[in-house]
Amino acid sequence: MAAVVLNKVGKKYPNGFHAIPAVDLEIKDGEFIVLVGPSGCGKSTLLRMVAGLESITDGELTINGTRMNDKEPADRDIAMVFQSYALYPHMTVFGNMAYGLKNRGVDKETIEQKVADVASMLDLSALLERKPRQLSGGQRQRVAMGRAMVRDPQVFLFDEPLSNLDAKLRVQMRVEIRQLQRRLGTTTLYVTHDQVEAMTLADRLVVLNKGNAEQIGSPLELYDRPATPFVAAFIGSPSMNLFAAQLNKKTLTVGNSVEISLNSEHAFNGSVVWGIRPEHLTVCETDADFKIRVKAVESLGAETLIYGEIDGVSEELVLRLSGPHQPEINSYISLQAPQDKWHLFDAETKQRL
Amino acid sequence: MIENRPWLTFVSHAVLIIGVIAVALPIWVAAVASTHPAEAFGQGSIPLWFGDYATETWQAVLFNAAGNGVDVPVWKMMLNSLVMALSIAFGKIAISLISAYAIVFFRFPMRSLCFWIIFMTLMLPVEVRILPTYEVVANLNLLNSYTGLALPLIASATATFLFRQAFMSIPGELVEAARMDGAGPVRFFFDILLPLIRTNIAALFVILFIFGWNQYLWPLLITTDDAYYTLVMSIKRMVSVADGAIEWNSIMASTILAMLPPVAVVIGMQKMFVKGLVDSEK
Repeated sequence: MAAVVLNKVGKKYPNGFHAIPAVDLEIKDGEFIVLVGPSGCGKSTLLRMVAGLESITDGELTINGTRMNDKEPADRDIAMVFQSYALYPHMTVFGNMAYGLKNRGVDKETIEQKVADVASMLDLSALLERKPRQLSGGQRQRVAMGRAMVRDPQVFLFDEPLSNLDAKLRVQMRVEIRQLQRRLGTTTLYVTHDQVEAMTLADRLVVLNKGNAEQIGSPLELYDRPATPFVAAFIGSPSMNLFAAQLNKKTLTVGNSVEISLNSEHAFNGSVVWGIRPEHLTVCETDADFKIRVKAVESLGAETLIYGEIDGVSEELVLRLSGPHQPEINSYISLQAPQDKWHLFDAETKQRL
Repeated sequence: MIENRPWLTFVSHAVLIIGVIAVALPIWVAAVASTHPAEAFGQGSIPLWFGDYATETWQAVLFNAAGNGVDVPVWKMMLNSLVMALSIAFGKIAISLISAYAIVFFRFPMRSLCFWIIFMTLMLPVEVRILPTYEVVANLNLLNSYTGLALPLIASATATFLFRQAFMSIPGELVEAARMDGAGPVRFFFDILLPLIRTNIAALFVILFIFGWNQYLWPLLITTDDAYYTLVMSIKRMVSVADGAIEWNSIMASTILAMLPPVAVVIGMQKMFVKGLVDSEK
């Protein structure tokens, strides 16, 4: 078990492209950290830098206090689960799991013992003699995890391990990964673009945007107090409604039709990004903050998503109501936006106010 | 084919049968000729059924000196051919595997230049560079030796290219997984890479064995000692007699013997050969 520390770790390609400017991250022993962000944000690159598959050009990476920048992947005492699983197609399940141990010169009996232990933990005992191509997607995924687990590494690295599975299996494996990690207590770094995965798995989340860590925090912290409009839009589904607005101490003006007076005076004066989550908007008869014109309705049974527009405002708005609703297209709905659920960001610095 | 037209079946069968006859007839004639006395073939009429001279011909061919200035029996020449073909096939595979491995998996300066230089040698087969190659081999004192027979033919751009393609089709994550599992370059080569491309190797082996076995010009040039004569080149020597009758019966017997090893290799490795050419299970 180990603590992993990234100290201003950065990556610059020879062609001058700065994929990752500088990331600071302290991962505590046994913590489950999820790196999340849209594709191309550098999350896989960062993971591969920790793994040693990409070189670290700036900063310092330490695992358990030992500097790892120039160590070979095999010498970092880490194990990785790849997106494609990367099982050796010509080896049996046993061979796949044993290969890493064999290369480290572990004796045969210990290998057999360890593989058997891990296999029974992952329900693979009956499949040890099979080749990867004779396995289903979920089983391959388990073998890939088993291969990482037998080595008893200091750190697990997962690179979008569930994205090749169908939806049902994904949910099942997600729960299983979480349980396994809890049981083994191994420090884990997990990359995904799926924010549901990120929210459910993580002790702490790192939201990456263009190689920068926009915010690091627990899933609920990020949900309740996103530091930037980017995090606000990324965490939560459907994503938060964000509007360009003017804040003038006592009133918030959106476009030319919405004016909401604040309950308590705000110190800020100027352009802001105003955010409110779809689930925090409430339908009301009187005292409406603004009205939306319904453009589309998605009924999901347990909840209904209503897409609409405020007249005179270019941004679209989503409203999430529980239970079935069937408003007519182009009809108007009056809404209230509770002020304790607001998120205000400085339009210039993109920081939370 | 889902079409079901009787005349189409008939025509296609007829075409195939004619094709088989066209290919098989010369072999049949050779087999038949080897069972007649030497004169029978030279008289103008070609016998189409076996004669009764078979034992004598085959005994003479296999164990006596071949004659016409060739002082070694055919089995010895077959052995020479076999040594040459096998060393060429294995040598080419070994050297191409290593060079393709270097080109695909290692970053070193002027990597692509190296590849293109290897690739350019495709334009320079032995026949084109035969005189300089001869001189090099002669200066190295390799005339009349197995090394001299095989070594100059071992470098192969084709095989390197083929292995390069095979290596490039191996997913990057597999290579990385092996790295994480602590497999160094040598372990990765033997544990992961070779098993993955073994059908490609088998397919290439078949092609290269036949290539080596059928070498004519090169052995003709560098062997003057009968002990290193290969079978394919000696057949020519047996035909060119200054005066007297050509021993067609023993020549035909040698021809058939010369055909057997390549046929055996093709039949024996057919399954892997086809798999290596069409299969891409990775």
